[in-house]
Amino acid sequence: MVEEAKEKTSTESNTSSEEKKVAHPITQVQVTQQKPQVSAAVPPRAVVSPAPRPTPTVAAPATRPPPPQMVGRRNFVKALVTIAAVLSIVPFVPWGSFLSSSVGNAGSYKRQKVVIDAKSVYGAAAGQVVNVNDLNTFPPDSHWVITYPSSGDATLDAQNPDTFVKYELIRLPAGALGGDTKNASAFVAFSKVCVHLWCSPNYNPDPAHQQYECPCHGSIYEVPEGLAKYGPAAQQDAPTNAIPMLTLTADPNGDLNVEIPLWDVEHNGVLGYGRDYLSYRNYIKPAALGGS
Amino acid sequence: MAQKTDDSNRNLVVKLYRWLVDGLERTVYIGVQYTFPKRFVSPLGYLGVLTGIVFLVLGITGGLLMIYYQPTLTGCGSLTCAFSSVQKINDVVPYGWLLRNIHYTASNAMVLLAILHMYYQYFSGRFKIKNEVLWVTGIILGIITGVEAYTGYDLIFNQRAGLAIEIGSGLTNAPPVIGGPLRLATFGAGFTDFVLRLYSAHVFILPMVMLILVFIHFPRYMVFDIPVVSTVVGAIFIIAAFFPVPVSTQYDPTVGALTIPEWYLTGLYALLRTEFDKFVMGGLMPGLLFLMALVIPFVDTSKKLNWKDRPFFTALGITSIAQILITTAWGFYINPDASLPTLDRLLVPPDLYFGSMIGVTVLSFVLTYAFLRYLKAKERVRKAVAPTAPLLTRKWVYFLFVLLILAQVAFNGLAAAAGAAADAAKVAQTNPLPFDSLTLFDVGAVLVTFGVLIHLYRYSQNLPF
Repeated sequence: MVEEAKEKTSTESNTSSEEKKVAHPITQVQVTQQKPQVSAAVPPRAVVSPAPRPTPTVAAPATRPPPPQMVGRRNFVKALVTIAAVLSIVPFVPWGSFLSSSVGNAGSYKRQKVVIDAKSVYGAAAGQVVNVNDLNTFPPDSHWVITYPSSGDATLDAQNPDTFVKYELIRLPAGALGGDTKNASAFVAFSKVCVHLWCSPNYNPDPAHQQYECPCHGSIYEVPEGLAKYGPAAQQDAPTNAIPMLTLTADPNGDLNVEIPLWDVEHNGVLGYGRDYLSYRNYIKPAALGGS
Repeated sequence: MAQKTDDSNRNLVVKLYRWLVDGLERTVYIGVQYTFPKRFVSPLGYLGVLTGIVFLVLGITGGLLMIYYQPTLTGCGSLTCAFSSVQKINDVVPYGWLLRNIHYTASNAMVLLAILHMYYQYFSGRFKIKNEVLWVTGIILGIITGVEAYTGYDLIFNQRAGLAIEIGSGLTNAPPVIGGPLRLATFGAGFTDFVLRLYSAHVFILPMVMLILVFIHFPRYMVFDIPVVSTVVGAIFIIAAFFPVPVSTQYDPTVGALTIPEWYLTGLYALLRTEFDKFVMGGLMPGLLFLMALVIPFVDTSKKLNWKDRPFFTALGITSIAQILITTAWGFYINPDASLPTLDRLLVPPDLYFGSMIGVTVLSFVLTYAFLRYLKAKERVRKAVAPTAPLLTRKWVYFLFVLLILAQVAFNGLAAAAGAAADAAKVAQTNPLPFDSLTLFDVGAVLVTFGVLIHLYRYSQNLPF
């Protein structure tokens, strides 16, 4: 007897979700969502066995069937609610820029003098502010590592292992590339992060090379525009086939500066991703950067 | 696809939702009955759910803030990394200011909601009779919420954190015998340890403990009311927009600064400033309060639930509110006479303080009993409430719907424009604060509007055809 009564209640609880009142301290609350319930009334085998549970016999709200124009109106209201829900999510979309911000753990980007990392291998150039007029300390066809943004201390910078703040400063070879001219155009600063798989390329000053070469998978970027011409990086689609670079300018006294970068593919590029070298060509031309 | 089911007239989203709900049969959630109220019900009954929702907001914003926060001291130049990374989140990172301020305001909201939740459960007698486990875990959750908030604002390593550091170190040092080891175990051997330990506590250990306790604390029935949830979250955004919390200046242990802690800790601050024994005032006194809260369901064992039928415990609850309010108010007090030495300015006069505590206890009991007697005398037969005509007709509801959606569109547009302006200001290194505030306000307004709209939808569903 008791078993039967229990069975009955459990079936009832499954008949219609909309009709069911909840035994709840808060009155006048209806369940709009049908929840599978565990109660002592459900025999354990019902949970274990694959036998189908009793399906709801009433699918639509158990009120009287609405007249046709009401259905239209209901759909209209539901559409409005859906629009409102979408409108409530949309304003959060731009918040994604919090995640994709290139500010990251780097410092804030400022215009900054170019200082060579204080490493003993750089001899007289170590820790020095680069001056375009100084062809002895900074001769053509040479390369050094610089840090941007700098901590302000070239010794500390030299100890920073993060290649995403490192750039290869290259004084171009003399001759056609103009490495011996005494202005900022004699220099380029390439990111130390290869756009292929984030290894760290180096400039090879050998006259037969004179290009930016990655030791890991052999990607080779030509100088001075930083477009990959051999290796896996060259096979990637634009704009992921050019190395990001800093924009350099010179003070009237010849001191070299890094301009505040614009970290997008159209301008200085996205570190570890790429740069549209044609757009960059147009970007560095305007005199907005104070000339050089 | 062609299979005819009862769901055949429902759209894909609804089907997916039903499928998911059916799938919950095999999960722990089977024990919980969610209800989506079809009419407005007082949020007092489900303040706990709201506390949980705010906890979720804190988890999301906190997880995002972790991306840029650096829990170390050295390596960031003249400022500590902890402080300068918060500065960077606040001033440089797009939407960082918004997330930080939401996180801050939500933390206050969570503490407040938890306190209100506790008192509602107390006065309504819901903590009694078989709900003892819920109550006890709730009290423990409340204490951990306070500790969680405390560890959070220490991480910034600004002046206010400095005060918390000083008090925290003082309190953990204070207990007899275990004092020294306790301090070493909780805060470590120096500021570098301190920041890292509080960080691990704040982002992992305490939230994990809270989650585990929440699973015990879950009641059988839970109310999820979209209009109220959306409005509460939107209100947090709007309050954060109007009352941004400054990063302030970095904590400097070599300079004494008169600061006041967050409102939920000023009580503790006042107790300590009576300048009696630290352990008694800062450890045993609050401990006594928590102990009383923990044992209440085992003392108040009558079958009576209504606060009117439990005069002693109602008076006790009122007393605790009054005492907490007075202690909290004392916490904000600093003697304005700047010529006095710092320690004298900080003193909370014990005679006045304890006098006011005893006075307010007597007053609370007398007033509560008097009020209950008055209520009993005035008790009359309740009039049946006549059914009232609906406030709005369908036409008006539709009109308001369109109006609210237009408002949402407008707030969306404003939010997008203000967000872009804030981004531009950050790039140009000009002040982005007005634009950041406006963005946050607009997004909050979008959520509040959504809440009102869903309530209106619910209202329209109950209107006669």
